[in-house]
Amino acid sequence: MKQRCRSEQEEKLVEIGEPPTSTYWKSLEERRNGPHFTAEFPGGLPQLNGAGAGEPTRRGFLGMMDFSLAAVGLSGCRGPVQNAIPLLVGSDDITPGVANYYATTCRGCASSCSLVVKQRDGRPIKIEGNAESTLFGNGTCATGQATVLSLYDDARFRGPVWRGQPAKWDELDQRVLDSLVEARAGHRKVALLSSTINSPSTLRIIAQFSQQHPNFTHVMYDPASYSGIRAANASSFGRAVIPHYAFDKARVIVGLEADFLGTWLSPVEFARQYAAARRPEGSPSLHVQFESGLSVTGSNADVRIPIAPSELGAIAVALLRRVARKAGVTGVSEGKEFFSDAQKLDAVADELWKHRGESLVVSGVNDVSIQTVVNALNWFLGNIGKTVDLTQPSLQRTGDDSAMAELVEAMNRGEIHTLIVYGVNPAYDYSDSQHFLEGLDKVSLSVSLSDRPDETSSRVHAICPDHHFLEAWGDAEPVASVFSLAQPLIAPLFETRAAQETLLRWAGDPEPNYYTYIREFWRKNLYPLQKTFDSFDAFWDRSLQDGVAVIPSGTVAHLPRLQGDWTEAAQTILQGEEQAARNDDRYELHFYESVALRDGRHANNPWLQELPDPISKVTWGNYAAVAPALANRLGLSEGEVVRLKTARGQIELPVFIQPGQHARTISIAVGYGRTLVGKAGRNVGVNVFPLTSMAAGLRTYSIRDVALEKTGKTDLLAGTQSHFSMEGRPIVLETTLKELKQGGETGENKKALPTLWAEQLHGEHSWGMSIDMNACTGCSACVVACQAENNVPVVGKDQVQRQRVMHWIRIDQYYSGPEDNPVSVHQPMMCQHCQNAPCETVCPVLATTTSSEGLNQQVYNRCIGTRYCANNCPYKVRRFNWYNYTDNPDFDFNMASPLGRMVLNPDVVVRSRGVMEKCSLCVQRIQLAKNLALQGKREVAEADIQTACQQACPTQAIVFGDLKDPNSRVSKLRQDPRHYEVLEDLGVRPNVGYLKKVRNPMSNV
Amino acid sequence: MSAVRAIHGPVKIVPSESQVLPETRLVEGRPTLHEITSGIAHPLESRPGKAWWICLALAVAALLNLGGMVAYLVGKGVGIWGLNNSVGWAFDITNFVFWVGIGHAGTLISAILLLFRQQWRTSINRSAEAMTIFAVMCAGMFPAIHMGRPWDAFFIFPYPNQRGPLWINFRSPLVWDVFAISTYLTISLVFWYLGMIPDLATMRDRTKDPVKKFIFRILSLGWNGSHRTWSRYEVVSLILAGLATPLVLSVHSVVSMDFATSVIPGWHTTIFPPYFVAGAIYSGFGMVLMLLILTRQTMPPQRYTTLVHLDKMAKVTLLTGMIVSYAYMTEFFNAWYGGNLYERYHFINRATGPYAWCFYFMVLCNVVTPQILWFKKARTNVALLFIVSILVNIGMWFERFVIIVVSLHRTFLPSACGMFYPTKYDVGILIGSFGLFFTCFLIFIRVLPMIAMWEIKGVVAHSEHERALGSDAAARAVAGD
Repeated sequence: MKQRCRSEQEEKLVEIGEPPTSTYWKSLEERRNGPHFTAEFPGGLPQLNGAGAGEPTRRGFLGMMDFSLAAVGLSGCRGPVQNAIPLLVGSDDITPGVANYYATTCRGCASSCSLVVKQRDGRPIKIEGNAESTLFGNGTCATGQATVLSLYDDARFRGPVWRGQPAKWDELDQRVLDSLVEARAGHRKVALLSSTINSPSTLRIIAQFSQQHPNFTHVMYDPASYSGIRAANASSFGRAVIPHYAFDKARVIVGLEADFLGTWLSPVEFARQYAAARRPEGSPSLHVQFESGLSVTGSNADVRIPIAPSELGAIAVALLRRVARKAGVTGVSEGKEFFSDAQKLDAVADELWKHRGESLVVSGVNDVSIQTVVNALNWFLGNIGKTVDLTQPSLQRTGDDSAMAELVEAMNRGEIHTLIVYGVNPAYDYSDSQHFLEGLDKVSLSVSLSDRPDETSSRVHAICPDHHFLEAWGDAEPVASVFSLAQPLIAPLFETRAAQETLLRWAGDPEPNYYTYIREFWRKNLYPLQKTFDSFDAFWDRSLQDGVAVIPSGTVAHLPRLQGDWTEAAQTILQGEEQAARNDDRYELHFYESVALRDGRHANNPWLQELPDPISKVTWGNYAAVAPALANRLGLSEGEVVRLKTARGQIELPVFIQPGQHARTISIAVGYGRTLVGKAGRNVGVNVFPLTSMAAGLRTYSIRDVALEKTGKTDLLAGTQSHFSMEGRPIVLETTLKELKQGGETGENKKALPTLWAEQLHGEHSWGMSIDMNACTGCSACVVACQAENNVPVVGKDQVQRQRVMHWIRIDQYYSGPEDNPVSVHQPMMCQHCQNAPCETVCPVLATTTSSEGLNQQVYNRCIGTRYCANNCPYKVRRFNWYNYTDNPDFDFNMASPLGRMVLNPDVVVRSRGVMEKCSLCVQRIQLAKNLALQGKREVAEADIQTACQQACPTQAIVFGDLKDPNSRVSKLRQDPRHYEVLEDLGVRPNVGYLKKVRNPMSNV
Repeated sequence: MSAVRAIHGPVKIVPSESQVLPETRLVEGRPTLHEITSGIAHPLESRPGKAWWICLALAVAALLNLGGMVAYLVGKGVGIWGLNNSVGWAFDITNFVFWVGIGHAGTLISAILLLFRQQWRTSINRSAEAMTIFAVMCAGMFPAIHMGRPWDAFFIFPYPNQRGPLWINFRSPLVWDVFAISTYLTISLVFWYLGMIPDLATMRDRTKDPVKKFIFRILSLGWNGSHRTWSRYEVVSLILAGLATPLVLSVHSVVSMDFATSVIPGWHTTIFPPYFVAGAIYSGFGMVLMLLILTRQTMPPQRYTTLVHLDKMAKVTLLTGMIVSYAYMTEFFNAWYGGNLYERYHFINRATGPYAWCFYFMVLCNVVTPQILWFKKARTNVALLFIVSILVNIGMWFERFVIIVVSLHRTFLPSACGMFYPTKYDVGILIGSFGLFFTCFLIFIRVLPMIAMWEIKGVVAHSEHERALGSDAAARAVAGD
């Protein structure tokens, strides 16, 4: 992959933006005499060389004639802007039809993953991971993959808005500046309310802003808060930070309600580390997860123990009590055990103690006491400084709940004169959003920098839309000393302005330019810290090209020591337990971020709305996940709407029966129920943020003492899978670590099943794939990646309910074992590229055939849509275009809107209605690699081709390659003892193989 | 008449038997040749009654509904049906197989029963053949409209084209279908038309309307009733019957291979060809019974469709019904005995899954209902037979639905399991296909002789001379009237 950095010359292009409309004039002369003809050619008319002016040749003459005709003709037209390549002066770097790749930084959430973005003809069309990044590697998450579609969102603001009316930037700037002056004069407060900002240059700009305005406060707010961890670390270690965890160094991982493979803190990074530490070829780590709802992380754990959110503290204390006892530390009172299964806890504590210094306890719960106990646990286990890094902490979440609460109070007291809201939406996701809105009304000037409508921006005076991150410069420091740069991939689509420039403008810079600023910032602050490069330009170009730079800060931090009063924290938890009353008819609610929508900011992204939840496989909406036992007891059926009555109000939600759900706990995803958002996300699901509360200055994402009532209504859930049992079929094969180490049958000595079919003859290659069932966490990044790469349409809730989802790759979820706590597996399933394909023999018109390279290919032009192939596919991976999904008046976004269509991959045809489609193993990428190899007069190398799903996978569970090449990774994996083919006994001979899931049961649990 | 002689023999009944059983009479009363002609030609020469108009109005309404829905289907896409990723075929192919099955009785009656010299076929063969053609028309519509891109339906014909080596896939049963159905339709059409030529000549000679006369003249191909004509006619009939006979077996065998050659549990079965043929004859006879009873009760001359005919058809229905029942049992036995995991799951699911009611309804209609036909009283009870014939048809429709949808909705990977729920377009197009069928049939009985006059004349002992030539028993039977 070629990565490029932007040269100075190109930056000008970025600034050009929208071409001027014909009503503008540049000079009085132009206004009087009309636009000058040569203005069409700013660089002057090109000179014909070759034939001299004195000797006109026949060719030259005809060429001139052609040119003149074309020039005269073209001067009269102005092509539709959306389809034009927005370059007036051709660039050497941009060849129509050839993609460029630029490194940038994701702002889908504050994890700030490094990305490489594919740009075709001036449009970013595909997000890919940045292999240069030491933190995140090649992988991405589903949300990150989908951010490119948010760029082409019809709902985005076209320009600045003043009190609901389109306005001019100058006018708005003046109003804000006036207001700031007024605030300063009246000694009133100015506040900036933002999401986590880990961009060093932006933080500097904010500092600069605060110097201008003495009464300035900056509050960072995360709807899914991590401030409990920061507060606990402040008291335990004297540092208000989130540690940087190293799951790859841990041999035993204990998760306490932390979905670190799905949504928690930095899932791409953690998934990568986790998979690396759990390769069955080595000695895989042990993972024990305590959680209430089944999460992606829990579904991958070796031991998963369902608990109620209220039991979490008691479990942490019980573990601490055992570990402290082993460490010879007293301090945890030998009180009553609140968690019934003491034996399990003993075993977990034994394992932890056995792997002192290479274990890790993490908790995602936003509670200082529990986090303090977790800190003590990690301290006594010797993990601090090993798997828990406090010296180079994570800066991925820096929100502060109490500061936010204080700001809301200040707003309500009328102390805030000017409020700038940047990247957050508290009117939707704050626990007491009504209180926030009341406060907002008392602010004399409220400004939102949001780039698209949300519940907050609809209530402010001024909207100064920020760029989408793919249009903007930027930098980030997700983990201390690890920097990531962001560069624009496209000229801003609308009249937006970078938030940093907006702040600089209000800080007094009349002509703010964030690019110059960030460059200067790096020159002054980061360049001096490194020793590799002699000149700043070289350093900058390199950093921009790589997208990442690891620049250790000069100061050496000393290792922290446990100093806080952890015994008191344990005591607080135990006292709370004593007081808590348990009643079988009162339930607990547990709120979590869903893998697709997270905190709801991506609600208008149809790719994410239609992404099946990795566990429940439900799309387009949230639900109340109840345990099968509870559903049986109350006679609840799936889709039945229940009313949940809490002290903070009541909600009505459809039920989903979730195996593995804790019996008395009901889990509900936040991020749904947006009301003021674009068409895709409006009123999808129910907003449960109002049920979250503030306790001791921290957001609490669970609530006790909830009553459940039936409503008699039903609201059919749009799930993509309804049957979760394998029925004893050879679909996901498992082995145990012990068996594997003893050596099972290998691929070589495995007897091939007899066949009556002639061997398929292949040409130069035989493309195949291998999917490691052990590495796949089910995170679903591949699903969105495939959708983006292959122009897979979004079909909407109604069509998903009709079981017509179009995804080419799906992740099947199967359970085995007891319903209340089953073992689960995730199986990516796409076209298996059978060599004896059942689909091929039945197609009457030969629209699907095996290529000479072993690909099962679908010929759209030939397909007449009998659907026989789909009926006869044992894997049911074929997808039929029931309608013309690109032309759907009920669903006019993504592929059905001119703006949304800009995300389409020009290398992949958009299928019309009535034809069958399916996974092609990214044949366009294979073709490109072959062409490039041909041009370079070399063989296709393995590294040349990565399928979209493979590339997106943070755990590298998917390997693609040439089965003809005995040295390719995929060929070698075919010989792996774990290799098997799904439904092998059918004799269809798939080219996609799987590696068995390896179970590593904890012997004493 | 040579034709009479050719099929004359079996009327003779061995005297010893005749003392136990009265002679079967294929025509009630003793119509003269003229009475036969004018009786059968009557509907063509008189104004239709109220009942016919009501039936036609209903049929045309359903047909118009079909037209509208198909237009919408082609305009919008097959998404308007209840199909999905798991269930790619449902009502569409169910209807197709159903109608092809209906179309089986015609050829069976006209070809196989001709070869077996079953005299009783003479009064029903014409309408049965017409039914065949209309049913095959209905059937043929479904593969075309079920396609995602029906405008490209011509791709499935092996026609010379400019697209390089593009050709059809001869391994695909859908291609076999195209040949099987089109051959069947062609032969049936030729057979039907050929069988009508003497009657068309009769109509030509009877009608006074110059337009009708002109049309009949063209259609009757200059038939003059000479011995030579008859002699050639007989030969052609026999040859065509010989050609058509294998088709009776082949068409539905090929249709069954749409399923049997697949890998899907519930479809992948070698029993399908004979099972489908039996089912087809079963449903075809059910439909013939229904139509005959309807026309018998509503159109004046009842004498040509006697209880003897109904009794014989009921026997065929019983026989094929038993074959079908046997096939059901065999399928279940093999699912258990074969030990195939998927097969076994499929049949347990068929009997206990979400579509179990369809299965039991099918068993009720196809296995239980025909048992009543063991009784002669039931076989000669017109009202009861009518109900049985309707149940048989519903049962056979459900049989195809069970085979198609129940097999598809649960597949190898449980993750891909789905359900099929019909939409109004599924139901509307099914009803509409009946509209097409009945519109054609109702028009047929008004514009063409629905009973083969010349063949009836052959089985009626219409002259003293014939009777004298016949056996004593025959003579006694006639004299006893």
